[in-house]
Amino acid sequence: MSSTSQKHRNFVAEPMGEKPVTELAGVGEVLGKRLETGGFDKAYVVLGQFLVLKKDKELFQEWMKDACSANSKQSADCYQCLKDWCDEFL
Amino acid sequence: MADQVESMSDAELRTKLAEHGFPVMPITASTRKLLVKKLKMVLDNKGRPLASDNKAENRRSLARYSSGEESDLDNVNKIKDKRGRRATTGGSMLPPSVSKTRRTPSKKSSPARRDSDKGSESEDEKSVIRHEEVETITKRQVTRTFVGNDQDDYETGSDSDVDVDKKTSTPFRSNSRSSDYISSTLPTNDTSTSPKSPLFSRPSLPSTNYTSPMSSSDHLNSIRSRLGLTSTLGDRPSIGNYTSRFSSSTYKPVTSTYQPSTSTVDEVESPYLSNFTRRLSSLKAEPPKQSPFLDRDTTNGSTMIPRRSYITGMARSDIVDYKMVNEKKFLKNNLVSLALVGLVALFFFCLFFMYMVKKNDITSVVDDQNSVIPICHLNIPGNRPGINCVPKEQVSYAKDLLKVIHPELTTRIASYKCGQPGAMPYLTEREILDIARSKADSTDVSQCRTDLNNLQVLLINNPRWGLNVVQLKNLYTKDADFSPISNTDLIVQQRTKGSVAITLTDPSTPLTCLLVNTIYSAGSTIIIVAFITLLAVAAQAFYKFYLNYRKRKNDEIYSLVGQIIDVISQETVDSGEPYISVDHVRDTLISPENREKLASVWDAAVKFIQRNESRVRMEVQSVDGEDSRVWRWISSNSPKRSAAWQGQAFETQEGSVNNLTVSPTPCLKIRHMFDKNDANPNLRTIIQDVILEKCGDRCNILHIEIERSSCCVYVKCANPSDAGVVYRSLHGWWYEGRLITVKYLRLERYMQRFPNSPSIGPYLKMSRPQRSWDE
Repeated sequence: MSSTSQKHRNFVAEPMGEKPVTELAGVGEVLGKRLETGGFDKAYVVLGQFLVLKKDKELFQEWMKDACSANSKQSADCYQCLKDWCDEFL
Repeated sequence: MADQVESMSDAELRTKLAEHGFPVMPITASTRKLLVKKLKMVLDNKGRPLASDNKAENRRSLARYSSGEESDLDNVNKIKDKRGRRATTGGSMLPPSVSKTRRTPSKKSSPARRDSDKGSESEDEKSVIRHEEVETITKRQVTRTFVGNDQDDYETGSDSDVDVDKKTSTPFRSNSRSSDYISSTLPTNDTSTSPKSPLFSRPSLPSTNYTSPMSSSDHLNSIRSRLGLTSTLGDRPSIGNYTSRFSSSTYKPVTSTYQPSTSTVDEVESPYLSNFTRRLSSLKAEPPKQSPFLDRDTTNGSTMIPRRSYITGMARSDIVDYKMVNEKKFLKNNLVSLALVGLVALFFFCLFFMYMVKKNDITSVVDDQNSVIPICHLNIPGNRPGINCVPKEQVSYAKDLLKVIHPELTTRIASYKCGQPGAMPYLTEREILDIARSKADSTDVSQCRTDLNNLQVLLINNPRWGLNVVQLKNLYTKDADFSPISNTDLIVQQRTKGSVAITLTDPSTPLTCLLVNTIYSAGSTIIIVAFITLLAVAAQAFYKFYLNYRKRKNDEIYSLVGQIIDVISQETVDSGEPYISVDHVRDTLISPENREKLASVWDAAVKFIQRNESRVRMEVQSVDGEDSRVWRWISSNSPKRSAAWQGQAFETQEGSVNNLTVSPTPCLKIRHMFDKNDANPNLRTIIQDVILEKCGDRCNILHIEIERSSCCVYVKCANPSDAGVVYRSLHGWWYEGRLITVKYLRLERYMQRFPNSPSIGPYLKMSRPQRSWDE
């Protein structure tokens, strides 16, 4: 990953607090809506899932695909975002 | 099977996944679906028949989840019984292969190749562990047997094994002579490798390929191939062949052509050679010499190179051989030229030697028939013996004297030339007489004196002899200063003074002295040159270092400037203030321990920004009641810079001299807010907005009017204290490059000027929404 998006940097820059799920890199409005209907309304819920899947990239991406039919770019972005966040704050 | 997976309990699912090398993770409502899917996929792949791509896929996944192997193995012991059950069911539920081939083989084949090594390794370990529980025939073990087969294949035919073989055997071929002989003393070393190599290359070794005229080596090859076929027969059949080969004409002529190339090689090699031949003749049972001596053959550039590479199936070791070939060929090819150079050197040395010897041979010169000897004749009146002629019977005495003193004179001059203290380059008459007396014991002084006089006459008449009669200029000093005497008459005068001496005409410096002198003079030159060079190099290095240093420093400064600008732009946006304290920026960027060290860099960066950065302006602001230098960010996209307040020229705060403690009137007159020739029709609106922006939220302004003729702005506030606020916030500020001054105006005058101005609200509002600072 040569460069990260502004959204990624914004997310990784600080504790996520009560940020909505759409603050995650790779999760836009559409995916955010789908995730919210699945109960993942906050970023920390997705983080929980991410951690439950033991930060496994393959499984997480698979889950993203299942949960909100994200494509591989979106899920990879989201994965990287959460992983960087965890490296920083966990 | 899929149904079964879906109906599994969480625990079962977990163990099942663990068994397949997945990390054990909690199975929750949200993950269960995913894990079930995963397990299904894995089971599908496992269930397929073990085609190559399928196996590759399994391996790939195993390699990928290798981190989970340990936990997997731990689990195996705990759930042995369960495993057995599930494994058998899994085995019985082998699905048909074709229907489940979902992935394209092309995709799998590439990772299979890549991971084959790693996978086989890890599986190797596992197979050892699994060996204990043979009774559970899981499908994975089935795959493992296939893997095992693969490994067997690799062992017999793969490239990597040949590589390994090459690596082990190349040292034997590329080693130096000595190690070859060492290997010959340790035959077991080579026999271990030598039967192996033909084994690998046997398929590509038809013996009919070799149509070389060297029948003995062909015979050897056929023997070798046979050796490869019947490797258990070992070395015995080959011994005879090797030895016959060595004793046949191939080996010895080659070495004999090789040997004369350089004498040193010959010397070095001969003990080994003799040793070797002796061993050959006595002990015929040492086959391992084959490779070194084949190598020896190739070094002579014979046609053995390709053949040997066929025999051993090694292409790579030839590179080393060629290298050796090149080295030895170089010696051989240049032998003639080297010898020529040596001959020329020898010739010149002989010449030099002869010259040296000839030079010192005085007797031959003196006894030369061509010498001019002025014999005294009694009938010639001017003849005076010992002055301008020599009595005939005394010529030989004089010559003898010369022969006696000549070596002494030579050593004298040599020591003088060598710079020995006290040595003089001549022999005075007194010294000559002393020498003559000591050499010939009985002769009395007068006899010697006569001989000397005669000798002097002879020497003057024969400058060819290489000796000079000289007149010493200053007798009592150590200076070797003299002038030659060419006239016999002068001698007589000088004799009385005792300042006549004999010296060599062109004294030759002895070789050692010459060498020493040359070394001294050359040494001093070299030292000077070296010193100058050193200085130059040092100067250059210093200059380079200086350039480097400056470049590094500049880089540091530039990076720091970049960081500063980043911080300024970021902070001014974040904090909402248009400026940031310089020290604050420094403390943000540079950690405390580096602050002292980087002070110069920081100062340079600050200076650079002050000079060359248009977006940042340095000014003094009071931050928290303390004056400090600040950087104001003037970003290009900030529109307020074009028509806005540009900072304060002087203080109007409480207590400053420019501040009036009480505001006398509610009316103000503001000068210099616009130019006289500013023809903007909206000028009043603009001015009003600007003033309201500056202080509108802290005070109530009733009326603003401009007067273009006098460039004045009239402001009427709700009460005097509001006017005070306006006064303090506008007086002494720069607006569009002009300094604004504010004065109080009496209400009567204001009303006189603007009779229609309102005296109660509504207060003026901005005509456009207020800009925020960070816009």
